[in-house]
Amino acid sequence: MECYSEQTCAIFVDGELAVDEARQLRDHLATCRRCRDLVDALRAENRVLSESLRELPEEAASPKAFSRLRLSRVWGDLAVMAAVLALGSIVSVWIDELKIPEALEWFNPFSPSGLTNLMFNLSDYFAHGGTAMLTDYAAVVGGFFLLLLLGSGALLLGRRGRLRQPGLRLLIVLLTLSLPSFALERRHGEFVTVPASETVDDTLLASGNTVRVEGVVNGDLLVFCQTLEVRGTVKGDLMSFAKRTVVSGSVEGHIYNLSQSLDLDGQLGHSIYGWAQSFHVGNRGHVGDGIVVGAGDVSLEGEVKRSATIFASNADVSGSIGRELTMAGGSLTLTNTARVGGNLSARVRQLKDVHIADGATIAGKRDIQMQVRKSQFTRPRFYFHQAVWFAAAMLVGWLGLVLFPGFFQSCTQAVGSGWRSLGLGVGVLAGVPLAIIVAAVTLVGIPLSLMLFAAYLAAIYLAKIWVGAFLGRILLKPAGATKGDWLLGLLVGLLILTIVGFIPYLGGLVRLGMVCLGLGAFAWQLYQASRPAITA
Amino acid sequence: MDIKRNKAKGPEPREVKTEPMEGQDLESVIERAQGHDAEALGEIHRRYVQRVFGLCRYMLDSRESAEDATSEVFLKLQRSIGSYDGSIPFPRWLLRVAGNQCIDVLRRRRRGQQVIVEVEDGATVIEATSPERSPLGTVIRMEEKAQLQAAIARLPENHRVPLVLRYYSELSYDEIGQQLGLQRNNVATLIFRAKQELRRKLAHRSK
Repeated sequence: MECYSEQTCAIFVDGELAVDEARQLRDHLATCRRCRDLVDALRAENRVLSESLRELPEEAASPKAFSRLRLSRVWGDLAVMAAVLALGSIVSVWIDELKIPEALEWFNPFSPSGLTNLMFNLSDYFAHGGTAMLTDYAAVVGGFFLLLLLGSGALLLGRRGRLRQPGLRLLIVLLTLSLPSFALERRHGEFVTVPASETVDDTLLASGNTVRVEGVVNGDLLVFCQTLEVRGTVKGDLMSFAKRTVVSGSVEGHIYNLSQSLDLDGQLGHSIYGWAQSFHVGNRGHVGDGIVVGAGDVSLEGEVKRSATIFASNADVSGSIGRELTMAGGSLTLTNTARVGGNLSARVRQLKDVHIADGATIAGKRDIQMQVRKSQFTRPRFYFHQAVWFAAAMLVGWLGLVLFPGFFQSCTQAVGSGWRSLGLGVGVLAGVPLAIIVAAVTLVGIPLSLMLFAAYLAAIYLAKIWVGAFLGRILLKPAGATKGDWLLGLLVGLLILTIVGFIPYLGGLVRLGMVCLGLGAFAWQLYQASRPAITA
Repeated sequence: MDIKRNKAKGPEPREVKTEPMEGQDLESVIERAQGHDAEALGEIHRRYVQRVFGLCRYMLDSRESAEDATSEVFLKLQRSIGSYDGSIPFPRWLLRVAGNQCIDVLRRRRRGQQVIVEVEDGATVIEATSPERSPLGTVIRMEEKAQLQAAIARLPENHRVPLVLRYYSELSYDEIGQQLGLQRNNVATLIFRAKQELRRKLAHRSK
């Protein structure tokens, strides 16, 4: 009898052959070894297929193309030189044309509008005990930077100054990042407008009182202003540092926001990352990816395709979120129209602050928990940590005194000038982040801004040492000014500051005052030291 | 502002207790899910999300669209689970739903056109090849599974979709035909061709 086709055998093995035909084939198998082998092999194939498919597919990304990147030494040196030249030229051009600060008047703590803004933000900040977080954060990040510096220093020394691949690649990345800033178009004025008929082909940097985009920006849009309105199209990313940002047109890239309020009523291709007082996605708003925001009030009425991560004191969701909704903060409300495609997880202070309407749709699990604030004073670990931090602060104080005795002692004295130090300190505390941002948006200024950031955090950390030493001096009134006296004063002052720092609300205020005073004293001394008349 | 006024007084959320759900048998979980019990729906999500994602990942071309499709499946499940009558095992039913979702996605991309095109007449009869010449199971077995998975991912949609529906979702030819709008013998041919294509890819690689 004639053999069956392979396809018929395959259908048979799948159990899909008609009953009669299957019986005939089975009869045939009893006599034909060739077909029997074929059927066995097909069965094995099916088994392997099912087994392999059962495991999740691996992502087929092959990083080989990158790891094989090798450049000869000559090319490497050329690249380094080109990078340095490019960076230098861009920095010089940039510094020449920098006119941003005028547009940032609202952010300036000494202007009326800046002052109200600062007061508003600071009151919110105290209420949430943010200062403690800032200093802790400063300590952690400061330590990280120190490690990074030490590590890279050791690496460079170990390699005898030869810039090997990682450094080379970093430079190449910097170089490529810096290239687009050549194609940067800058506009400054009271009203900056891109009319509907206009298309800006480059990245646009706009600063002014009101910036309005009705046409098309083919590159990124960087804005420093009071009010920004995007009614047209931004093909790249939008970076906004404004008091108020309204997007009713479309942004095809990401939005990086540091505005006091952000309203999205248009189309966004990718994600929003931002920090704002109030954050609002209107019912016509559409976010192509996800959102990660920290804000006082968040309201989501439109659509977010992927996950939403929200840190807010008050969040209302009535639109749809394609994936997970993660929220931490005060209260969360999901109305009847809310739709969450993944899990809902919320960390709130009180469970009654979460309202989920019956009609709200949540596809995944609901995980709503209270942020249990167990008193830290009951844990022995807390005392251990405090002791370590205290010892570290004493050590840093001692090191400072040994290495820079004059500077450290005069910083301590400068704290005594009270209002001058406090005022200067507030200015530095608010102004330096601004300078960091301004440096960072120039792209090539990123290393500079990182260094500034590290110095800023280090100064915040050192602030308590000067203030502590000053406090100890006032209390102990030592006769001499030996190192021993200074350190004893520091010990007493730091102890008092540490203990006072744990008083609710007042503690936060004391910590902030301490940071401002210390920063102000530091800034004043830096200024004095830079004046030749004094140093001479 | 409207949101605040519309604020519905929802049930008070409780702290999540997952322990009792995990031990429960599937039937009672499904029953509770059909009664719109959020915890039960969450449990189904926990148990099957990987399986559903796996199918979507094979059916669709990117991780993102697979993730999107997966969450869409579980969103729709809240409404559709009521129609599950227990006549087939639940995992199979769920994978059928997920398969439909993926086919919808593919169809939308082609602006409503049929996802899998029918193979030409007469192609159903394929000459028997001698087993010695076809790599089949023994050769595939020697390959790493990852290679096989990669090869499946690289198959054209026309071949990949029926193959995955057959061997991942374990649907019958008729069910696949229904989902794809194809004749039964067309399904058989597409699956057979998909396997041949796979053998060719793997044989080529192992040379």
